[in-house]
Amino acid sequence: MTKSTRIILICSGKGGVGKTTLTANLGIALAKRGVNTAVLDADFGLRNLDLLLGLENRIVYTAQEVLDESCRLEQALVKHKQEPNLSLLPAGNPRMLDWLTPDDMQRIVALLSEQFDYVLIDCPAGVEDGFKNAVAAAKEAIVVTNPEVSAVRDADRVIGLLNTHGVQPVQLVLNRVRPKMMASQEMLSVDDVTDILALPLLGLVLEDEQVIVSTNRGEPLTLSSNNSPAARCYSNIAGRLQGEQIPMIDPSKEGSGVRAKIRRLMQTKIF
Amino acid sequence: MLNHFSKIQTISLPLSREEDWKVSLPNKVKGLDEGLVVLNCRDWLLTYRDFQKIEALCGTKGLQIEIIISTRTETIVSASSLGYQAKLSLNNNQKKPTNSEIDSNNNHNDLPLLFHRGTIRSGENLDSEGDILLLGDVNPGAKISAVGNILIWGKLRGNAHAGKLGDDQAKIIALQLRPLQLRISQAIARGPEEKPQAGFAEEAILESGQIVIKPANPNLLRAHTAQNVFIS
Ligand SMILES: Nc1ncnc2c1ncn2[C@@H]1O[C@H](COP(=O)(O)OP(=O)(O)O)[C@@H](O)[C@H]1O
Ligand SMILES: [Mg+2]
Repeated sequence: MTKSTRIILICSGKGGVGKTTLTANLGIALAKRGVNTAVLDADFGLRNLDLLLGLENRIVYTAQEVLDESCRLEQALVKHKQEPNLSLLPAGNPRMLDWLTPDDMQRIVALLSEQFDYVLIDCPAGVEDGFKNAVAAAKEAIVVTNPEVSAVRDADRVIGLLNTHGVQPVQLVLNRVRPKMMASQEMLSVDDVTDILALPLLGLVLEDEQVIVSTNRGEPLTLSSNNSPAARCYSNIAGRLQGEQIPMIDPSKEGSGVRAKIRRLMQTKIF
Repeated sequence: MLNHFSKIQTISLPLSREEDWKVSLPNKVKGLDEGLVVLNCRDWLLTYRDFQKIEALCGTKGLQIEIIISTRTETIVSASSLGYQAKLSLNNNQKKPTNSEIDSNNNHNDLPLLFHRGTIRSGENLDSEGDILLLGDVNPGAKISAVGNILIWGKLRGNAHAGKLGDDQAKIIALQLRPLQLRISQAIARGPEEKPQAGFAEEAILESGQIVIKPANPNLLRAHTAQNVFIS
């Protein structure tokens, strides 16, 4: 009971930036490292964490029934077949939003804390009730954003709210990084983003087609020994969360082909 | 300070720390009639969550919070993040703030100096009845406003309004002045498009009704209110 469970909210402000994908991949990556991990779908409106984890057809009960006390937590938890260190607590139906309170969220997370080392909460987009419920239960947070002005603006708003809620530490994951576009300054650079958001950078995730392939299969990239660019990024994030010193990838050294190499060579000469 | 709210009821949190506001607040609320209320938080540090609780409590008596007053900037920021109108007051019976030396030497006028450390983020407002000295950035989507001058030891990328009650002498100074929009007194200007020159503080002032931006002049700074801020 005196366990110090890490309760991490994964949030963004803007929708579609990659929260659920990060939650699923990080959950698997942590579980692989032998950490007892629960992922909680707090996005009752647009639940799809179950889908990404390939667990959709194994859901019997949800957080809703646990709160109603019509089932025990153990009955609602869905264990991942290949990575039994990972369990999903599914969201209830969308109407649950109408009556769910911050206290309910705290109750659920307290229950999960009794048996898990990590609880990852997949937060809904926005800063409305869904966010407020989720934030009430969180100790720390990962803010996910893309190198786009609108996503960064919304992330900034969320960081302000996390601060007023006393959530600490708050770290940043910059998702969908495209080295080419960054190099040609068609996209905000890593520095541009961290300069505005002023948060410690937990990791970069490269834009990677494999993410979409794996989403459709219901098998997070980190599950297989797949060594696609994004898979490496997610694993690094898991390692850093556990305190390992893993160097950040350098987008200007990523990207393939002769052209990128020449560009890099030229850059180092000119500057 | 509250004269113009005379028709509105006031709830004041306890003066002394001995008394827990969470315990005494329900009784205070009970004694009031339905309607608008001013919430004076004094120097209590209140979070977003605290305000949600207070809001719920006031709701039970049909009370609507009109404005939140506090002597702490953190509380002001929490209140504004919930969408409340929030005002910073510098109370006489409060122990002198750390910036007291700055304040007492500042005889340019007797407006209070609001000192704030930290980034003002999108959706947040920082407002002062006097000058503002901010150690931190003002991000896009955030707003900073003052009756007097605005001094930002950081980057201004959001909106700023100095001399908001009509002081044409008010200025806005920042290490990097790249706001979305600037206002001085009644004048409005869009921020400059070109990238800032690194390493030069800039100031925005009003010249014949137009907002102009130029490199901050250290002598000019000394001659005005910022004098004592930059000396130590
Ligand atoms: N690194 C990435 N590379 C390519 N596609 C990505 C990446 N991260 C996320 N996506 C895609 O972006 C979409 C939105 O991701 P999702 O995790 O559902 O966002 P959110 O939960 O924030 O709404 C999905 O289609 C997902 O496959
Ligand atoms: Mg999602």
